Amino acid sequence: MASKRKIVAAVMFLLSLHLAILLAGFVAPYDPAAQNRDFPFAPPTRVRFVDAAGHLHARPFIYQCVARPDGIYEYEESRELRYPVHLFVVGPEYKLVGLWPSRVHLFGVEAPAQIFLAGTDNYGRDQFSRILYGGQISVAAGLLATGTSLLLGLLIGCVSGFYGKWLDESAMRLAELFLVLPWLYLLLAVRAFLPLHISPTQTFLLLVVVIGTIGWARPARLIRGIVLGAKNRKYVTASRSFGASDYYILRRHVLPHTYGILLTQAALLVPQYVIAEVTLSFFGLGLSEPMPSWGNLLANLQQYNVLVSYWWMFLPALALVLVSFGYLNVANAFHERLQSGST
Amino acid sequence: MGLFTNMMPFATVSLEGAALLRVRALTVTYSTRNRQSAPALRRVSFDIAPGEILGILGESGSGKSTLALAILGLLPANCSVEGTILFQDEDLLQMDESRWREIRGAKISMIFQEPGLSLSPVMRVGDQIAEIIRAHRPGNGKTRKLECEAVLRGVRLSEVDRIYRAYPHQLSGGELHRVAIAQALACRPDLVIADESTRSLDVTVQAEVLNLLREINRKRGSALIFITHNPALLAGFADRVMVMYAGGIVEQGPTAQVFSRPLHPYTKGLLQLIPRSRNGTNLTSEGRLPVIPGSLPALNPSSRGCLFEPRCSVRTAHCQNESPGEVTPERGRRVSCFNYGN
Repeated sequence: MASKRKIVAAVMFLLSLHLAILLAGFVAPYDPAAQNRDFPFAPPTRVRFVDAAGHLHARPFIYQCVARPDGIYEYEESRELRYPVHLFVVGPEYKLVGLWPSRVHLFGVEAPAQIFLAGTDNYGRDQFSRILYGGQISVAAGLLATGTSLLLGLLIGCVSGFYGKWLDESAMRLAELFLVLPWLYLLLAVRAFLPLHISPTQTFLLLVVVIGTIGWARPARLIRGIVLGAKNRKYVTASRSFGASDYYILRRHVLPHTYGILLTQAALLVPQYVIAEVTLSFFGLGLSEPMPSWGNLLANLQQYNVLVSYWWMFLPALALVLVSFGYLNVANAFHERLQSGST
Repeated sequence: MGLFTNMMPFATVSLEGAALLRVRALTVTYSTRNRQSAPALRRVSFDIAPGEILGILGESGSGKSTLALAILGLLPANCSVEGTILFQDEDLLQMDESRWREIRGAKISMIFQEPGLSLSPVMRVGDQIAEIIRAHRPGNGKTRKLECEAVLRGVRLSEVDRIYRAYPHQLSGGELHRVAIAQALACRPDLVIADESTRSLDVTVQAEVLNLLREINRKRGSALIFITHNPALLAGFADRVMVMYAGGIVEQGPTAQVFSRPLHPYTKGLLQLIPRSRNGTNLTSEGRLPVIPGSLPALNPSSRGCLFEPRCSVRTAHCQNESPGEVTPERGRRVSCFNYGN
């Protein structure tokens, strides 16, 4: 049953990541757009247990970050006052899941100190909050695009496998065309073709539709294969002989066979599509400031001084890696489970 | 021309009253993309009266299964079908798909060869029967369940509850078989086709299934087409028997008469192949079963003459050049041979 525990662990990990992103307003201590012009490029705040005098404290605390008087973008900790980290503090107002207004945050410190777990960017915005909010955009884009791809793939694959003939031929030739298309350049071309300034919602939908439609070919081919195998089963002929319609046979006898493929494809496609969104936003073709997305957070690294001086600006990439790892891990755990089950 | 001369007597031959199924000059040809092959069924004509059991006998490749699929309209798309199949005075070959769906399962249904494969492995057995009833008759879930249970009891299954909730892999071969029969009978069809349906069963279960089929046939008055390659199963079971060879009917008639006095040389050969328990009455002098020499001819559209001619023991020069039409040597019997009875 080790494999079962592995699945549970992998799914739990992935779920907690998604939960944190979904409840970004609650988990993040600050508004993602709130600027602290006094603290551009502040390094991540150190969470401490031992104070300057060497005393151990049960409750973690931080020291306030202050600008060094003689430097630019250089900071030090003011060791005079400890600011303990509290749970469930009242802070700036936000809307939970974009619906319920609330002021309670998971953690925080008392003003005037501020806690920047992942440092700040050039406007002094808290990166940790921005990564969480940015995840909402990036992951949602990945999930929706995956949904689009799989839905298209399922439709085309089913029709093509079930009805065959010229429908099948033309759909599969089209699929081959889409498979050889270099999707990244296609994305760039499509995005570049459209007006540069459109509303963030429109951009988001455009991203989802473009990424999602380009990727239908692979799932469609896989599903077509499954359908081809399933439609010639004896019980399909039998159920036809009892008066079943095409639709009934597809729904009851063919579709259940595709669930496995759909699941694994989803686990593989989501990280791929998240990365696609990140890539586009990185090039400035996706969502633009002040809306955070992992892509435009990373876009800061295009500036040389940021790239070499402020390592915490790489942290959005870590979030990307974690989510990708989470998905592949789930796919892997399921795979192992199926392998052990079949022997 | 053989067909025309025999249409007339045939009308008087068929059992009294209207026939349930009237097949006339049915020809089915499978064609691949660039090649037209020989017909799998050639000008097949026969009748079934309501409530009759018709046994169709033939070796594999003789067109038995194609015939069954043609009656249900389930032939693959690369088949061309000619002729007429009149079922209750309606030509099945002229019907559209939605009318087909109303007939399949409700008026004509089929019992398949291997019930283990013809039942979906991921649906409960009871649901698979209920779905058939749902497709053909309005009603709610509760009454349907009761109906299903009645059908299951009707095929002599005890523990109806357990079987209703079981998945196919949880049932024994005999139980699966009865479930397959229950499926076919769920909507009380007028015609049931059993395609080699006892092949995979052992002898005792086979006998039970045959008894069950006969009993249901008698009780409900539904006609049965029983397709088999084993002549021994038909004796005492089928009312009439029809022998097929290479896509054509070589002989048909009442079972008792055909079995006691076969007319066609192929039928004779087949019947001699039944091993008998009494000290080898049908063995040759070397103590072996008298095999029919040769095998089914490769189907070839241009072939002339009788298709059985190469294997026939009573062939004449005439047989090579002209294919024999059906003749009616006595009331109720028909045979396609120039030299029958020799």
